[in-house]
Amino acid sequence: MSRELLQKAHDVIRIAKRAGALGARASVYRNRNSEVEWLDGRLDRIRQSTSMGVSISLFVDERYSAHSTSDLRPDALESFVTDAVGMTRLLAADPHRKLADPAYYANRFEGDLGLYDAPGAASVTGIDRRRTAGALEDSARSAPGGEKIITVNSSCSDSTYETALVNSNGMEGTARGTSFFLFADVTVRDQGDRRPSGYWYSVGLHRDNLEPVEVVGRKATQRALEGIGEQPMESGTYACVIENRLARRTLGGLLGALSGNAIQQERSFLAGKIGDEIASPLFSLTDDPLVVGGFGSRAYDNEGMTARKLPIFEKGVLRNYYLDTYYASKLGMKPTTGSQSNLLFTTGDEDLEGLLRSMGTGILITGLMGGNSNDTTGDFSVGIRGHWIENGKRVRPLSEMNMAGNHLESWKHLVEVGNDPWRYSAARAPSMRFDELTFSGA
Amino acid sequence: MMRSLGRRGFLKWAGAGAAVITVPTIAGCRPGAFELCAGPKSKAAGGIAHYFEGFGIGSQVFDRVMAKGLSRGGDFCDIYLQHSVNHWTGMEDGQINRAYGSVDLGAGVRVLKGDATGFAYTEELTEQALLSAAETAAAVADGTPTARPQAIAAVKVKNYYPIRLPWAEVGVDRKLPIIEQINSAARNRNPNLVKVSIFLGDEGTHVLLVNSEGRMVEDYRPMATLWLTCVGMKNGRVETCSESLSAREDIHYFSTDRIVGHAHFVADTVEEMFSAVEAPAGEMPVVLAAGTSGILLHEAMGHPMEADFNRKGTSIYADRMGQRIACEHVTIIDDATNPHMRGSINVDDEGEPGQRTVLVENGILRSYLHDRISSKHYRVPPTGSGRRQSFRYPPVPRMRNTYMLAGPHDPAEVIASVKKGIYAETFANGQVNIGAGDFTFYLQKGHLIENGKLTRVIKDANLIGNGPKVLESIDLVGTDLTMFASGGTCGKDGQRVPVGFGLPTVRAGEISVGGRNA
Repeated sequence: MSRELLQKAHDVIRIAKRAGALGARASVYRNRNSEVEWLDGRLDRIRQSTSMGVSISLFVDERYSAHSTSDLRPDALESFVTDAVGMTRLLAADPHRKLADPAYYANRFEGDLGLYDAPGAASVTGIDRRRTAGALEDSARSAPGGEKIITVNSSCSDSTYETALVNSNGMEGTARGTSFFLFADVTVRDQGDRRPSGYWYSVGLHRDNLEPVEVVGRKATQRALEGIGEQPMESGTYACVIENRLARRTLGGLLGALSGNAIQQERSFLAGKIGDEIASPLFSLTDDPLVVGGFGSRAYDNEGMTARKLPIFEKGVLRNYYLDTYYASKLGMKPTTGSQSNLLFTTGDEDLEGLLRSMGTGILITGLMGGNSNDTTGDFSVGIRGHWIENGKRVRPLSEMNMAGNHLESWKHLVEVGNDPWRYSAARAPSMRFDELTFSGA
Repeated sequence: MMRSLGRRGFLKWAGAGAAVITVPTIAGCRPGAFELCAGPKSKAAGGIAHYFEGFGIGSQVFDRVMAKGLSRGGDFCDIYLQHSVNHWTGMEDGQINRAYGSVDLGAGVRVLKGDATGFAYTEELTEQALLSAAETAAAVADGTPTARPQAIAAVKVKNYYPIRLPWAEVGVDRKLPIIEQINSAARNRNPNLVKVSIFLGDEGTHVLLVNSEGRMVEDYRPMATLWLTCVGMKNGRVETCSESLSAREDIHYFSTDRIVGHAHFVADTVEEMFSAVEAPAGEMPVVLAAGTSGILLHEAMGHPMEADFNRKGTSIYADRMGQRIACEHVTIIDDATNPHMRGSINVDDEGEPGQRTVLVENGILRSYLHDRISSKHYRVPPTGSGRRQSFRYPPVPRMRNTYMLAGPHDPAEVIASVKKGIYAETFANGQVNIGAGDFTFYLQKGHLIENGKLTRVIKDANLIGNGPKVLESIDLVGTDLTMFASGGTCGKDGQRVPVGFGLPTVRAGEISVGGRNA
């Protein structure tokens, strides 16, 4: 199967070179997705498709452009690539645009990253998906408090992908993977017109790694019920614990500012700060592409460069940026990789409840809503929901509040990390406790 | 703390109750392709039906595909064909040194059985591939055929975005001088700028819809987008501003007046940001500036009015039809027919002609936004709100251009009426929890209001409130309805569609401002 994709990628490169490109990188993908959605005891939607496409980056006389198409008819593809090469000649020359240095293609990991569950993918049937989606609803409804449920939306889906990547300066690779997904979204009745909702999901690269259906349904109901009676509390500075599954978004503003584009375009508050202490010494973060079964695992990156472990923060000190070949060249630095893989954290000794006990009084954040982060200045402001905690116990539910700060200051307030890295994401972050952050509410 | 809210994975995991919007981003718009890569030339003059006939697909094929779709007892089948050609041409560090292009070609086949949907798509426009998609979609039903495809007849719809020059006929050479002009205008305006990056985007999408009731409709949807980011440095402080312009237009949209005006606006905003102070924290009155603040309507009001949320009982407005939900000055429209606006559509993605829907009339809730499924469910006429990101998705109820009509109050008096509060001017993104009604929108720039006067510049604060409460609290509505000159990209159900907004100056209470000055 992957041979066919690899062949297609070589074909596309051949067309580009014939049209006059000095170098080219082509990737070809094929995905298959199947999904069943269930709504209140009935089938709501089934979706199933196989999709294929080609992307190509062109390097023509120091000029650069990139293109993608789903129109793979041979004649259409031929004219698509040929015309794209012609158009590229009209752009300005840019000496920094090059394929990756072949030295970065060497010593690639050739083992099994555990991303592909062939038996799992082959064994799911349409009937299975319907049955599972229905069972998710049943488990949500039979959870404690289920009588308050207005509606349950659940889904069961799975997908497989294969990709091939070819660089005209001597690199080719293929990859394939599977993923399986369970989801339940529950809406419950509160006072007046309020209808709080909550969801839970489980996702696995292997079918066996999913949480049991009963757990997913029950947790969705529990999350929705936690929204009953939510209120903001008064604005102020509070201690807080951020639940592990929210870490990816919490970190987003920090990681966005590490991209080569942000650094080189002066739109990063982390520009010029390699070697500086940005966060608390408890904060160590490594980009590790070679974790077996990791959601972001890969043997090579988008440019085809061999994937390697990359320390990002060590005991709070910034060590590396995410630099692709282009922005590394513009900055006069060595490329690392242009994109994140798995994020691994140093973890602590206590679970979430333990962190709440050590905090005593403060806010537990269980949901983030809206908000944004300014990569240029590091200022962030984001909506939260969660619980007010006293004596380490949940006292009342909170919503309609914002948390605000500046990344250069806020991460220094990290005082404890949990032992509970989130398994269902490439960002395997633990729950984190901060001694003080600013919250606005009523 | 996130920049990439639009990621499909996030939206999906965020659940049915969460709907997200971002002002258009480069990442959000699929990178486009070179104009000569367009589809085969039409064999005959005229409609888009002929355009797709160029791909070898005609009426007989549609008939056989829909018969296959209905072969297991579905009530209704439709086919959505699409051919999109997109380009982005970009400047960084003073050089136009990058271009991105994409071609998206394919067809989605949908079968309905009651409220349930079966859906599949293919990127291969062959009869065999379409039949196979139809067979997959047919599985939503499990019986014997009851409906038959009707004879197909083309329906003409009004064109709300006529253009003179299709994007397929515009080469990159015509885009270069526009980009150069924007760069010079921005740099000449503000000597403190250290970086200017510009992307000029264009898209031409042909769609053709055919359904088993015999309707065939076609549309050509152009889009012109300019994205300008300026970074300035002054006394060691770095500030940035990114703003777009977007409309369903051809290259004439990028007139000198318009692009120079935009360059000046962005360059001036960077300068203003140098004097910005931290936003206040806590609940206070907010005056929403005319224009971009329409994002408030989109989040607080528009999403909860999408009938799928109501059909499922998940919307906070599910039981409020015909009731008063705002003061008499508040009339809210969702409209497909505003000439050339980003959210306008001549026909929705189910074949319903573009129309104007009154959601709230003088404070009374009047209508939801319906797609075919929900209009059948509620037994009301469709509102033409069934939209999809592309042929890869089934349609769901979506907004188009959402705005509030002008009211009786002088905008200056609206500001003067506030003793201590904020004046909210530009926004980046927003989100809503449909059932709880909580919504957010992220303020990029505004002003403090002190004793009825605009004083210091503020920036970077998330605003959060409860939709129904905030809508109820709007008591002053200005005479100055302004349509936002860009618009946004709205994410829901894992799908992104272009939308527009508009708002007069209004005063709202009970909004919590997420600054740091508690």
